[in-house]
Amino acid sequence: MTFSISTTEDGLTRLAIEGELDAVSVSDLRGDLEKLLARQPSRVDIDLSRLRMVDSSGVGALVSLYKRVRAQGGSVVVSGLRDQPLAIFRLLRLDRVMVGAELATPAAPTKTTTTSNN
Amino acid sequence: MLGILDHRDVALRAVSAACKLVTRKPQGPAWNEFRMQVVSAVGEAFNNIVLHGYEGRGDGIIEMEIRTRPERISIEMRDYGSSFDPTTVPPPDFDSLPESGLGLFIIRSFMNISYAPGKPNVLTLTKTLDPQLAETSAADPSEGAP
Repeated sequence: MTFSISTTEDGLTRLAIEGELDAVSVSDLRGDLEKLLARQPSRVDIDLSRLRMVDSSGVGALVSLYKRVRAQGGSVVVSGLRDQPLAIFRLLRLDRVMVGAELATPAAPTKTTTTSNN
Repeated sequence: MLGILDHRDVALRAVSAACKLVTRKPQGPAWNEFRMQVVSAVGEAFNNIVLHGYEGRGDGIIEMEIRTRPERISIEMRDYGSSFDPTTVPPPDFDSLPESGLGLFIIRSFMNISYAPGKPNVLTLTKTLDPQLAETSAADPSEGAP
């Protein structure tokens, strides 16, 4: 699993996750999600277009992020779902809550953190 | 705990490979969905055994037996941890956006399930591939397997 987090001056945060987000790899993401939440972003776009597989642990982390950002007054939009992750989001009825229109071309990031766990 | 989970990838690769044995034409959207659902369900079952059955332990044994025959796969998972009957758990309350308890729902949605507690606990997951749907799907040249 590889992920990147970038932020722009206007408070937009983009989280892109690639590979497999599961019970093994999710622990690598949690610390950076805490840092992301500490910045109280006004909006988080989660790009899952390169996510090949997700399990309930991975979904749980994303739902937790969604709920906590919303509790801070921000918004979260998931995009790019396909194949197995799309099937899981549909099965768990998250597609109606968290999934928005396709991501627009993101603004240039001011800060980027990339972590690889391959 | 993660020591056991690290073996999950090997188990899922074996399950994915076994899915190729259930049909003469392992390709097309129907078979792809079959394989995706089987691998997803077994992955969740593996997680549950490690995270709940062997909770707090750094080791534990999971024995897997995969049986295939035409249009059908059966995976028996045996563990020696705490018993936990997944067939008795109610579905999640989706309106509350639950962050846990989703794995069992995924397993039960994608595969038939039976459970026998004991030493070992025996969880059996089975799934049937609709032969007509698989043949039609595999024959469609516009929908090949990746």
